[in-house]
Amino acid sequence: MEAIGALLDGFRVALAPVHLGWSLAGVVLGTAVGVLPGIGPALTVSLLLPVTFSLEPTAAFIMFAGIYYGAMYGGSTTSILLNTPGESATIVTAIEGHRMAKAGRGGAALATAAIGSFVAGTLATMGLALLAPPLVRVALALGPAEYFALILVAFAAATSVLGRSRARGMVSLTIGLTLGLVGLDPRDGQARLTLGIPYLLDGIDPVIVAVGLLAVGETFYLASRFGVDVDELVPLRGSLWMTRAEWRRSWKPWLRGTALGFPLGALPAGGAELPTFLSYGLERRLTRHPEEFGQGAIEGVAGPEAANNAAAAGTLVPLLTIGLPTSATAAILLAAFQQYGLRPGPLLFEHEPALVWGVIASLFIGNTLLLALNLPLVGLWIRLLTVPRPLLYGAILLLASVGAFSVHGSTLDLVMLGVMGLLGYALRTGDYPVAPVIIGLLLGPMAEQHFARAVSVASDSVVQAFARPVAGSLLAVAVFVVAGPAVAGTLQRARARSRNS
Amino acid sequence: MPRTFRRIVASLLPALGLAVSAIETVAAQDLTIMAPAAPGGGWDQTARVMQQVLRATGLASNVQVTNVPGAAGTIGLARFVNAEAGNANTLLVMGLVMVSGIAMNASPVTLADVTPIARLSGEYEVIVVPAASPITSLPELVAAFRENPRQVSWGGGSAGGTDEILVRLLADAAGVPRRGVNYVAYSGGGQVLAAVLGGHVTAAVSGLGEFAAQLESGDLRAVAISASERLATPDASSSSAAPAEVTLSAPIPTFREEGFDVVLLNWRGVVAPPGIARDERRNLETTIERMSQSREWKDALSRNGWTDLTLVGAEFGRFLTEETRRVAPLVAGDGGAPRRDGFEILVLAALVLSLLAAGVQRRKRRSVEPGQYGSTAHNRNALLFVVSGVTLEAVLLRPAGFVLASAVMFTLVARAFGSRRVVRDAALGVVFAAIVFLAFARGLGVSLPAGPFG
Repeated sequence: MEAIGALLDGFRVALAPVHLGWSLAGVVLGTAVGVLPGIGPALTVSLLLPVTFSLEPTAAFIMFAGIYYGAMYGGSTTSILLNTPGESATIVTAIEGHRMAKAGRGGAALATAAIGSFVAGTLATMGLALLAPPLVRVALALGPAEYFALILVAFAAATSVLGRSRARGMVSLTIGLTLGLVGLDPRDGQARLTLGIPYLLDGIDPVIVAVGLLAVGETFYLASRFGVDVDELVPLRGSLWMTRAEWRRSWKPWLRGTALGFPLGALPAGGAELPTFLSYGLERRLTRHPEEFGQGAIEGVAGPEAANNAAAAGTLVPLLTIGLPTSATAAILLAAFQQYGLRPGPLLFEHEPALVWGVIASLFIGNTLLLALNLPLVGLWIRLLTVPRPLLYGAILLLASVGAFSVHGSTLDLVMLGVMGLLGYALRTGDYPVAPVIIGLLLGPMAEQHFARAVSVASDSVVQAFARPVAGSLLAVAVFVVAGPAVAGTLQRARARSRNS
Repeated sequence: MPRTFRRIVASLLPALGLAVSAIETVAAQDLTIMAPAAPGGGWDQTARVMQQVLRATGLASNVQVTNVPGAAGTIGLARFVNAEAGNANTLLVMGLVMVSGIAMNASPVTLADVTPIARLSGEYEVIVVPAASPITSLPELVAAFRENPRQVSWGGGSAGGTDEILVRLLADAAGVPRRGVNYVAYSGGGQVLAAVLGGHVTAAVSGLGEFAAQLESGDLRAVAISASERLATPDASSSSAAPAEVTLSAPIPTFREEGFDVVLLNWRGVVAPPGIARDERRNLETTIERMSQSREWKDALSRNGWTDLTLVGAEFGRFLTEETRRVAPLVAGDGGAPRRDGFEILVLAALVLSLLAAGVQRRKRRSVEPGQYGSTAHNRNALLFVVSGVTLEAVLLRPAGFVLASAVMFTLVARAFGSRRVVRDAALGVVFAAIVFLAFARGLGVSLPAGPFG
């Protein structure tokens, strides 16, 4: 195996004390900035880019790898503790993770996120080292038709988050789809549903919607119930880290999340949020504790967290092998390579093997450092929940507004945050689920664009666009996921009836 | 409870002290550069490179970059014209994409409202096909395009951007009606690259730099470049280790060479606010011209693969007028009514239907289990405190600054959740907001409104 030899050489580079130091510095910086609300990995990496300019390329990229993984990891902490996701890939984490934190299992949620990220990151980095070239070939063969079909599968999986009542879930989902329509039509650049307000031309940012619905809406709701019923917030119940049962419930979601996240991260389909939604839907279907979903189910944190970290490694596959950035963060990494006069692409492995394999090896090391750094911090983090409630909610709203404001640097971001908070409050008091709003907002525009592209590329024929083996099968899966349980139910009932008669 | 809490506050205090001392070191002379885009893009990079070069050459001692992203830069432009009029210490980065964005979004603020300072740099556009494509040259591509326009799909960046402008210019030159062009808009260069490498589009359009690695490795073939003359080809040997200057193993023919009169540059420049004095304007022009002549600037250009396009003052103003005249009709009002295919009608109908369904279901349920829904016992005062806190934050942010606005909100929220110690809450709110402010504004360069203390 040629790759293994090269990887061992890479470890020799990455384990040099200087490089180990830069890796540690990157991991610490990445986590520290990634933890801040509203600052996702893309912004973290671009803000910290100038820090590395004074270093020689290998050291700089090793530090960068640390920042990248650190930022991916740091985002989940605020989602779990404060319900304020900093970027779209950790929104799902907030849904179950924050419930766990309020029920005294925040330590377990943080631990399963940390260990899951480590497992996923390590397996996916191995995949990056061994499988990159064939994986890229597959990824390129897939086009807009396949991406559209894949998003339909995610939508179908998301029907499982519709809550107790399908009708209510549909209301939430269509509210999300409607919010997703706001802005410029991606196909012809015409404004839609913008009410003549220039601010709305770029659409409504999913992070503002998520923070508004989750953190602000929840605070409104809790205020309205203050003194009426008891707001349960237990900093810690039981052991600090994961119990044996929680381990048992976590390891399979980690592996499944990795299996979803790594290949999907390598696809130029747009971002790490798609695998997190798929993973959440999958875990919800497979779990033995369906009643806990929506109330703080550990599977709902373990799976999506593994998926988003595996996707982060998956993103590096097309970036390093063919110079193809598949996410905003990857595009910034590409710009960083260019700052050093390096051009990621087919020739990079030939021209700069020490650098490329050193970086890949440092991803393994960074991952291990992250775990070592974050597990001890769990105890410190959950102590945040011991802050007296009046001050805690004040701090949550303050951080939520900083997060929203740093999206565009506009006062209107705060107005939008407040409006989304009121929407979240209304949904909550009316017993409508919140998660489908966010799923509709994120995936709706993606689905629309891929559909339009697929049809356009196939010279305006819908049938021709989807008469492809992979796209067709994915569409069949989507139909099965939606209709399957209903059909199975009908069959069972029919069988029971025939047996009775 | 109080002990842990006190420990947290105590551990935060040294950080505050550190941050306060950081403020005092800020130098006196100011220049603010607004990038009307999110961090990472071409405009943001231009602003940050200017910041580095202006500092390194000593042309300005303190240079701040602010990002105001949105709507092809027109949101930043509007803010720049309205809030900075008469301020000679500030510049806005702009370029071709803003010219077309103004026309497309029918922006009320235009480039006639600003003071042109200089055009700085730019990138040429190329049209590429996959290496395996049967098409090998621009005439072959155009022949296929003329024969059946819908069969030829062009992948490029967002609708109305530089890439689509190039395709429309080519369609005009080739005599194909613009409406027949099958332009497929992707977001970001990476997606376009994937589409053309995977053979999902016939041809792709983007800046030369976006495709450089794949052209070098032979995975893509360039059929035309939008320069007016053929670019010089430096040594092919200096490929990967050298700065990422665009080095090509084979020269790319220009559109003109192939018989189509198309020249397009994705140029970028800087403008000053309206209403500045003549000598202030000359001052800015001199500073920027000196910057563009510095070795540091030239190095940065070659590092980023940008072409030097320096054009200063009145000449730049004339160029802006011409470019607006040429580009605006290409993107605005191209005859056809905006395409409306019912997607949004479908979504809105689904929203109404599901609302109705939920309403019906709710009434049914309520008749079964009375009292479960519509329980009206709630704490109206607390809700009012929180909502007014969030509202005041938005209202006070600009006039009072982030720290005061946030402290007001913090106090109101704490009051809602039963705290009676208003003074302590307000003090804690100020301290906490100040820490957050310093971490973001000083530590990360994310600007939050400073208010009267700025």
